[in-house]
Amino acid sequence: MFRNNYDNDSVTYSPTGRLFQVEYALEAIKQGSAAVGITSGSHVVLVALKRNAEELGSYQKKIIKVDDHMGIALAGLAPDARVLSNYLRKLAMNSKLVFNRPLLTSKAVLSIADKAQENTQLYGSRPYGVGLLVAGWDETGAHLYEFQPSGSVLEYNGAAIGARSQAARTYLERNLDAIRSCTEIEELVVHGLNALRDTLSQDMELTIQNTSVSFVGKDKDFTIHDNEDVQQWLDKLDSTSNDKNNANDDEDDDNDEPAEGTATAADSTQPELTQEGAAADDNMETD
Amino acid sequence: MNHDPFYWGRPSDETYGHYNHAIANAKSQIPTSHTQQPIITGTSVLALKFKNGVAIAADNMGSYGSLLRFNNIERLIRVGTETIVGISGDISDLQYIERLLHQLQTEEEVYDSDGGHNLRAPHVHEYLSRVMYNRRLKMDPLWNAIIVAGFSDDRTPFLRYVDLLGVTYGSLALATGFGAHLAVPLLRKLVPYDADYEKVSEEQARVAIADSLRVLYYRDARSSDKYTFAVLTFENDKINVDYKQDLKVENQSWRFAENLIGYGSKQQ
Amino acid sequence: MKAVENGSTSIGIKAKDGVVLAVEKIVNSKLLVPGKNKRIQTIDRHIGVAYSGLLPDGRHFVNRGRDEASTYSNMYKEPVSIPHLMDRLGLYVQNYTCYNSVRPFGVVSIVGGVDANGPHLYMIEPSGTYWGYTGAATGKGRQTAKSELEKLNFEELTVREAVKHAARIIRQAHEDNKDKDYELEITWCSLEETGGQHQFVPEDLLQEAIKFAQEEDDEDDEDEEDTEMAT
Repeated sequence: MFRNNYDNDSVTYSPTGRLFQVEYALEAIKQGSAAVGITSGSHVVLVALKRNAEELGSYQKKIIKVDDHMGIALAGLAPDARVLSNYLRKLAMNSKLVFNRPLLTSKAVLSIADKAQENTQLYGSRPYGVGLLVAGWDETGAHLYEFQPSGSVLEYNGAAIGARSQAARTYLERNLDAIRSCTEIEELVVHGLNALRDTLSQDMELTIQNTSVSFVGKDKDFTIHDNEDVQQWLDKLDSTSNDKNNANDDEDDDNDEPAEGTATAADSTQPELTQEGAAADDNMETD
Repeated sequence: MNHDPFYWGRPSDETYGHYNHAIANAKSQIPTSHTQQPIITGTSVLALKFKNGVAIAADNMGSYGSLLRFNNIERLIRVGTETIVGISGDISDLQYIERLLHQLQTEEEVYDSDGGHNLRAPHVHEYLSRVMYNRRLKMDPLWNAIIVAGFSDDRTPFLRYVDLLGVTYGSLALATGFGAHLAVPLLRKLVPYDADYEKVSEEQARVAIADSLRVLYYRDARSSDKYTFAVLTFENDKINVDYKQDLKVENQSWRFAENLIGYGSKQQ
Repeated sequence: MKAVENGSTSIGIKAKDGVVLAVEKIVNSKLLVPGKNKRIQTIDRHIGVAYSGLLPDGRHFVNRGRDEASTYSNMYKEPVSIPHLMDRLGLYVQNYTCYNSVRPFGVVSIVGGVDANGPHLYMIEPSGTYWGYTGAATGKGRQTAKSELEKLNFEELTVREAVKHAARIIRQAHEDNKDKDYELEITWCSLEETGGQHQFVPEDLLQEAIKFAQEEDDEDDEDEEDTEMAT
């Protein structure tokens, strides 16, 4: 994609009928780190890879609770997601206040779809630069929607957005039947983390610092798990780094996992550096 | 002569002095007020919960003060597939509420609906009570008393009242207007305590409401004997709406009138 | 218009007792939930809209139609007639072509419904121009669809038959998008069949229509084989 005469604002069509500003907005999403959502019909799970600007900095929050029965995962410009999530929270509260019932997920997403579309047809504002995965449980069941700044909203059984999300999508397509027949939240979370792991680049692995897990469903309010709470699911994975990148190191990683698990359970306040140090030490010993 | 266009057609400042703007901006002694009086009115709405359902009834009369102006007004409104809203009070406000409810239905159930969800009684009641209360806050009320009858999310009978002040309450037996004074005690005779509505059968409920309507026809001077009666039941996982119009009050006996003394034809 | 020309196909048919709208819904991913993500929307209760092009713009168009319809029925206490609604919508769409602070709608919409004067079918483009049709098509496969529609006898067609023809025509028009999977969405509006309300056709009728479309397709293939053998 390169600069051209038709990409100054979102009120200009290109000669081939494209809206470049909207397409550029979609690019902004691809710059954000990955988020994956899957649903089994009775529960929806959202997992996301958090990023930090520098080693000692905090990680950007990727999952936001909208109401007891609904939440979103974002990829792209986080401030835009904040604006949209505040709007959704207002809508959800309004539904409870006026109708005494929780907001239907379908109504919520169609509402932000129309809101986002306005920004693509009027002068003066830019399209939202964030993609959202909206997960909710309402009287019609568990739903997962993908929201794009173009105003397009589609309902999915499994979706992934952000950097290298295509790998996650491939995992989801391959395991769709297994996912749809999950009966336990734990199984679903493990699938989600596996898909998320496939988006990792070389030398990256899922840790309790950079992974965020959330779920909602039948008899379960929308809950977000971060930091130590995430360890319980990381322990269930074969590996926290991307197998395709570390084809040679698979065995070592398998051996390290349980050890790290018990270690970190005890010293939960140790920063990531110490964990990696421990892993390096273990490597040397087994080698 | 002042040729400035802004001074054309006005008394000259030299003769009368500059215009005192306090005149135009003066506050009125009388505050603006919308508080109204109802013009065409509907009388009581009666409703009763029983085992697995609710029964609700209202007559078809629109009174213009003491004149029986209209005798074909339908005061029970069906909303969705499982809720009935009975409205008493001003009839033009009733028609406005009917329109609001119709629009609500279209927006909730038709637009962008993938199915699987519908508008139920608790939602309709909450919506109407918000509308009524917010009108009251503007000192421009919809002059009505409304009863919403239907089922809750867990399929237990739902019966709740809301009126022009935004007051809401729920009970085993509810009635508006004259019915609150005459009919509610009769309906409550069936079951002394609210939680015992399960002991009331559909047949008992029907008879109780029909009797109350007869008593109201005897004693409420603004009532008529033609009415609409709706019974909602929940059976075998399905909701049944039995909506009967053009019913007449039966078994009337006006013999008690002969015994009234103290005014009119019998002074002693 | 360019944005529209590459969109998936939509068609509308005005039968003698109602209208039918159909959309070829291209399925981009196996992860999409089948049967959801509906493309055809309703205005009030008796009017349906199918559109091709930039889908969010289509939603904007329908939302405006819904506002217009509800204002009208609040004022006049009866449902809006389709010609009147098209007038207002045409004006609204044209407005977006007047100023450089907004961009034109990127959709062609096919609006169909039944009012007091019977069934109506209109198609409106980004310029705001609209015409009444007995058969309308837009999107990538519109040429194929239009030539098939022209063969139909609209005076005699009932709404039930029209549903089957709609399925067949979409299937043929899909040839232009052959490499992708698609879902068929059909709605109808008729006094006799739906009480004047715009609804999605019932599941059994949809399946019947899809089967009909497939059989027609197979017959055509057989005919082609015969001619080949002849040479």
